[in-house]
Amino acid sequence: MKKDYWNPYFGGVVLGTMLFLTFAIASQGFGASGTFSRLTAEYLVNSDKSWLSNAYVASYFKHSDSALMNWTVLETIGIFFGGFASALLAERLMFKADKARSYPTTKRLFWAFVGGAIVAFSTRFARGCTSGQGLDGMATFSVGAWIFMFTTFAAGLIFSPLFRNQWVDKEEK
Amino acid sequence: METLLLPLFKNGFLSPEANFFFAILMGFVFGFVLERTGFTRAQYIADTFYFKNLAVPKIMGITIITTTTWFILFAYMGWIDLNALFTPGTYVWPYVIGGLLFGLGMVMAGYCPGTAVAGLGTGKSDALVFLLGVIGGMLLYFYLYDFVAAFASTTKVGTVKLQDLFGGNNYSSYIITIILEVGIISFLMFLQKLSNNGRN
Repeated sequence: MKKDYWNPYFGGVVLGTMLFLTFAIASQGFGASGTFSRLTAEYLVNSDKSWLSNAYVASYFKHSDSALMNWTVLETIGIFFGGFASALLAERLMFKADKARSYPTTKRLFWAFVGGAIVAFSTRFARGCTSGQGLDGMATFSVGAWIFMFTTFAAGLIFSPLFRNQWVDKEEK
Repeated sequence: METLLLPLFKNGFLSPEANFFFAILMGFVFGFVLERTGFTRAQYIADTFYFKNLAVPKIMGITIITTTTWFILFAYMGWIDLNALFTPGTYVWPYVIGGLLFGLGMVMAGYCPGTAVAGLGTGKSDALVFLLGVIGGMLLYFYLYDFVAAFASTTKVGTVKLQDLFGGNNYSSYIITIILEVGIISFLMFLQKLSNNGRN
């Protein structure tokens, strides 16, 4: 497990070049939150057709019978296998949750769930996450992406004291 | 105006099927790089907010500098139409509130959706639970849609680029972007030095 991660500057150059190629080929950049929005919409409509009267859910079915026939959905499947392949090759497959050593795992997973729900909800207001809105938007000079990234980092810093015990070991202070 | 070569899909040089193939391929590479750079670790992301490790903002900043540099070079050579690249239109207040909630969720959970998908690929249990929460959050949004729809579409200003703020061109946006990214990384490194728990 003691294999080092890439140098951040090198990683940034690689990721930036990949993002450029993605835009140059597909005309859009990376994304992730849209996949889960579509997955949820697909599930709701399959279990009850009356969900199509919800304008937001219906917008995913305008061009296809399935909300999952979509570029970002397929790209997200690729992300999963890319993460798997890289971890496998680097011998970094791991099951455990990240947290400070003394922090209880059940509490950590509780916050992971609640945080996931808050993140998902917020991406519907922000029209994307740190990928589809943050990276793609900043790369295409969008003012909105900068508004989103500034407020995201500000909130992360403002709320960080509340979660210090979860992330920082006591002896580190 | 003649049609430029890039972006391939928008300019009709790529079939939808081929574009779907590239979606899986580029996603794979994205996930691979996320793992190589440590983005699949919630700890690595959370460390940012305690100034223990600034790898995340550094990678994001260098990513943007690299991508925009390629864009500007290719646009200068007349090979890419930057206006054909998709970017979401801006809604000011929804983005402010969305960003504040997103930041809260991120420091709480240590993941964002893309990093959690790659993290799930590496086997991590917290990434799995996070993604179940994401589906829960989406369900909540759809159930509450009638109540939040009006707010979600307020202050719509469309696609506004940095250069539109003062009437420049893509080159001025590029320069502002570089200044912002270098400025942010330097400022965070300065703050890290001030806080005693900063080691690297």
